[in-house]
Amino acid sequence: MKQQRLLFRLFNFAVFIFLEIAALQMVTHNAALQRVWVARGAHLFMGKVWGASQSIQSYFSLSGANRELSEENFRLLQELEQARERLRNARLDSLDTLYRPGFSMVAAEVVKVSRNKQHNYLILNRGYEDGIQEKSGIITPNGVVGIVDAVSEHHAFAFSFQNSDISISARLGSEGGSGLLVWDGIRSNGAILKEIPLQFRFQKGDTVYTSGHSLLFPPDIPLGIAGDAKVVNGATNEIAVRLFQDFSALRYVSVVHNNAFDEIEGFEQ
Amino acid sequence: MRNKTFWIAYLLLLVAQLIISNFFRVTPYIMLSILPVMVLCIPTRVNTLWTMLIAFATGSTVDLLSEGVLGLNALALVPVAFLRNAVIHLIFGEELFARKEDFTLRSSGFAQVGLALLLVQALFLAIYIWADGAGTRPLPFNLYRFLASLGAGVLVSLIPLNVLASESRQ
Repeated sequence: MKQQRLLFRLFNFAVFIFLEIAALQMVTHNAALQRVWVARGAHLFMGKVWGASQSIQSYFSLSGANRELSEENFRLLQELEQARERLRNARLDSLDTLYRPGFSMVAAEVVKVSRNKQHNYLILNRGYEDGIQEKSGIITPNGVVGIVDAVSEHHAFAFSFQNSDISISARLGSEGGSGLLVWDGIRSNGAILKEIPLQFRFQKGDTVYTSGHSLLFPPDIPLGIAGDAKVVNGATNEIAVRLFQDFSALRYVSVVHNNAFDEIEGFEQ
Repeated sequence: MRNKTFWIAYLLLLVAQLIISNFFRVTPYIMLSILPVMVLCIPTRVNTLWTMLIAFATGSTVDLLSEGVLGLNALALVPVAFLRNAVIHLIFGEELFARKEDFTLRSSGFAQVGLALLLVQALFLAIYIWADGAGTRPLPFNLYRFLASLGAGVLVSLIPLNVLASESRQ
């Protein structure tokens, strides 16, 4: 009986909806204003219904979307790593502009560096497998960095220029006198150019280059700017130099080796 | 009122509504209608389905034969018919249906009958004014129109109420 009453109510409701739709049809057929109003209402209703169905559909497809996102994330991470590798190689390749005739050159990355001691050192990520030899110079576009002292299969140990035992043959200006450039032991970009004969004239601000008298470094690599000078023992000038190289930002370097090193050293022996 | 007489009175009131709709348009704020009370007073032995069909036919007749948007009266009157039993249940209680009786002014009192009249009139006007405005008229206008029409409609409906809900309907 209850079920019959419920069915009857449902039937009444269906008839009610039918009659209301019929009345609305009459209204919309005979009045433009009401037609637009009903159409707008219908569109809004459909929009809500579609929006709700889309939301439900989206909810149930979340696990699939998460899986796709996870895969996409993994792929993007791989691409990022590849791009980083390419960038790293490109930076190393850019060091080829330091190429000097008579010198072989290998690009390397500094993997460890000490800066707070009097005898600082560097460790590079290239070894004899990569063509690195002992007694090679280490340079960057901003100057000299150090000298390779020992080489393993994949790494090289080098004395940093910021080492009180290291001196480099340097020249003041393009045709000035040569002397020895050493770290001043105080500042990270401070050096002293020693033993410049008094007869060579120079000015504050002149550029200091590698002289090329050393077997380790090619000539004419700009090292720094000449500063204040003083006469030592009445015989030579000692000039303060501000280095171009910032040792705190050291990462990519070139290891240069004189191809005639053994031959010339053979003469000396 | 005997069954036949009721329907004759119903048809006469329908004609009266046509006259009201065509000639008593005093102000846009007032929409006079006695259709809700006519549907409310349809004998309770007529079930909801038939009441809705009668309401639809009544509304459509007024729409067809008077000025205005075709379908509006039918649209507003069918819900009155659909909810008529619920209103009677709410105000007059279950006993009326159990005894298969109709409410009358004498048996139920003016307060209850007046409340039922107010409810159906409000429902009818709310739908009618809302659909007639079609979202273009401001809410204050619709509100004033609703209140003014409700007051006037309830007053005017007292006459058909007195005719249709008289003791002799039983």
